[in-house]
Amino acid sequence: MGLTLERPTQAPGPAVPRPSPGSGRGSRARWVWGWAYSGILSVLLTLTVLLGYLVTGIASGTVDWTALLTSSTWSPGNLAFGGLAMIYGSAVVCVLALVLAVPVGWAAAVALSEYLPPRLAKPLRLSIELLAAVPSIVYGLIGIMVIRPFVADLGDVPGGDSLLAAGIVLAVMIMPTIVAVSVDALAAVPGRYREAAYSLGLTRREVVRSAVLPQARTGMRAGVLLGLARALGEAIAVFMVIGRADDRLPESLGDVFSFLVRPGQTLTTKLAGPEPMLAGTSGPYFAALCGLGVILLALVAVATVWGTRGSTGRAVRAPRARRSSAWLRTPKDRLTTFARLGALLLPGALLVGMLGILLARGGAALNPVFWFTASEGAAGGGIRDQILGTLLLLATTALIALPLGYGAGVVIGTRASAKASRVLETLTVAVGGTPTILLGLAGYVLFCTTMGWGRSWLAGAVVLVPVVIPVVALTTAGRIRGMPAEITEAALALGLTGSQYVRSVVIPYTWPATLTGLLLGLARAAGETAPLIFTATVFFGAPALPTGIVNAPVQALPTHIFTLSQDSGAPEAIAQAWGSALVLVLITAGLLSLAVLLRNRFEGARRWTT
Amino acid sequence: MDDMTTGSSTLDDTVHETVIAVRDLQIFDGTKRLVGPVTFELSTGSTTGLCGPSGAGKSTVLRALVDLLPHGLRRQGEVHVLGRPVRYGKGDADLRSTVVLVPQTPVVFGGSILDNALFGLRHLVRASRTELHDRVERALREAGLWNEVSDRLGTPAQTLSNGQRQRLCLARALALEPAALLLDEPTSALDERSRDTVEESVAALRGNRTVLLVSHDPAQVERLCDRTVRIDLPHACEPSAAAV
Repeated sequence: MGLTLERPTQAPGPAVPRPSPGSGRGSRARWVWGWAYSGILSVLLTLTVLLGYLVTGIASGTVDWTALLTSSTWSPGNLAFGGLAMIYGSAVVCVLALVLAVPVGWAAAVALSEYLPPRLAKPLRLSIELLAAVPSIVYGLIGIMVIRPFVADLGDVPGGDSLLAAGIVLAVMIMPTIVAVSVDALAAVPGRYREAAYSLGLTRREVVRSAVLPQARTGMRAGVLLGLARALGEAIAVFMVIGRADDRLPESLGDVFSFLVRPGQTLTTKLAGPEPMLAGTSGPYFAALCGLGVILLALVAVATVWGTRGSTGRAVRAPRARRSSAWLRTPKDRLTTFARLGALLLPGALLVGMLGILLARGGAALNPVFWFTASEGAAGGGIRDQILGTLLLLATTALIALPLGYGAGVVIGTRASAKASRVLETLTVAVGGTPTILLGLAGYVLFCTTMGWGRSWLAGAVVLVPVVIPVVALTTAGRIRGMPAEITEAALALGLTGSQYVRSVVIPYTWPATLTGLLLGLARAAGETAPLIFTATVFFGAPALPTGIVNAPVQALPTHIFTLSQDSGAPEAIAQAWGSALVLVLITAGLLSLAVLLRNRFEGARRWTT
Repeated sequence: MDDMTTGSSTLDDTVHETVIAVRDLQIFDGTKRLVGPVTFELSTGSTTGLCGPSGAGKSTVLRALVDLLPHGLRRQGEVHVLGRPVRYGKGDADLRSTVVLVPQTPVVFGGSILDNALFGLRHLVRASRTELHDRVERALREAGLWNEVSDRLGTPAQTLSNGQRQRLCLARALALEPAALLLDEPTSALDERSRDTVEESVAALRGNRTVLLVSHDPAQVERLCDRTVRIDLPHACEPSAAAV
């Protein structure tokens, strides 16, 4: 996952200096700034815990980095820890996902923004945003039920578990993200550039190519890198369709293609498997797993930070086209129109197919009894406890993340020093881009074993907090930056202190944006599966609402879907899984629609999906 | 409009007395009339001023002529370009290279001055590099910019001043050798000194090019134009366009 980092299109900050934190007087001022800084502290704390977990893990046993990076033999019994096959697996599925999703996604984005009339484009764009927020567990389920059989037919693979299936699932998953971010980048190109180009008699293809794309290119590339970060960090959807076979590495170049239709393993699926539970919390086995975590984190960090940089860079690359290109103008124009509108069919079909399959197979969810009766495991029953558990986790996460995220946003947005705020912002983006599987593992070691909570709903809620905080913080900061300078000026001219300024100017101006951010963040957190499996949830046998903290697990929708889908033989279980998936999608869609409503109501709150 | 070719070649074939003829042009937003009805003609080689109070829809008329109306606006009425009726709503690139609109704010694309001057030309005309370069030079001379940029055609166009940018946009349009130029308040986004240089360039076109100049400044129209078309706010509209 990742976050788009948008800056105001004009000047990066208002000319009026912001009052610097700490300039307030009295106990109230201390309270406001204490709150704001605890938000930033929570971001730093998350990073510290995460890095601390990885570093102490590595230090607890010697890691043979050379073997980890070059050997393909993973055999904990013989203390042989080679991670090359997993790195290869991660690379292959990501490359497959990008190759399949990027050309179509870009073309569809261009069609949406430059070809369709706004009347059509607006609802379509909204539905693609919704598609981008569908939990990955649902994509995984579709992978199991639709893509795996498809690959099985295609490559004569028993079961269909393969790198190819994983690549296709990821492609389907990241395409909406790529389209949504690219459409934003295209929409940010001022209309006067189009007009100037059209009024010189250029065809639509030529206008897009020479006037629009050169300016949207950095933003569109950022969309791809965010998609890549999501694909790299995705654990559950890949886990469900890749087959998780160790040590599979093609021996020659010719084997690369035949290995595509065989099972494999990626960094994330290894970490999401049972091994972290078996490895204990020290020793060479644990250290090697932490080593894999470091490699994964490094890859994701590069993609996320690079992607964010790309979207903020102002440099427009000069088109060095000085030769005449006036050949076959009309046919070329017609052909690209055809191709681009055609590309739009794919996300469209995805949307329709997704809705269709969820409604057709998850029909059980439309019966109210399904919502309000307790589950009977794989045998049947309803999902009342799972819904309650999910809502409990989300509510707790929201309670913790809202004040912290808001505080962090206020500090990032009002910090006088642009440099400090940029550093803090990058750190926040980094937290937002962290693979949730790593958050789950760190939380597992910290809360469940070191602090002795066992499986606990509170551990799960705390693990989800870093998923939500960055979204809240960055929307808030963006809104504060977009605040008209006159408001600040007027407030300061009245002699307000820094904390009074925050209370009476910043908060009333930003709360809709903050709430939008919270809802978007929760929509994402609602579908998180991997971190909860380690820390908070069980499939069956927990009370509907837990009492106490220690050894107090809950049941939750993502875990329910995940466990049922592993047992894909029984038709009862399958129907349950689809029903639960539909309910989960409805919950995220509900959160997202609220967010969109809020955003449209209060102009200027920016888009923060993906 | 497949039967319409680029301005230069058409002009060579036949000399039309009237480049653009507009009859009863009206523009609607839903059922609300924004502009018109407007009737006027542009004769070859003339410079015509289009003026009226702000909000009368002067810029909207120009956009309607080249089929660049914003989404949701609807036009009614007849427009003839070079004697042929124009059918709108087809994204007609040939129409726009025959009648070229120069927008109010100068728009400079990424890349060098030369890239910008070639921006439309290289898509429209099949020619060798030197030939294109010659046409660009002629256009830059005509727009009065050549002396200032001839030694730095490769430098980024972003380095130009606002007035120079507007003349670059003018040159970019002139390079296409259009049948008519539509200038939308070419000086209103500029400071006084730049305004004078751009005005000079527009004045130099008088007699050689067919120009429709939108301006809210009656004195400017007086200085630059042979005749004036006035449009009024739609509710105050009698048969409106009166040649002065």
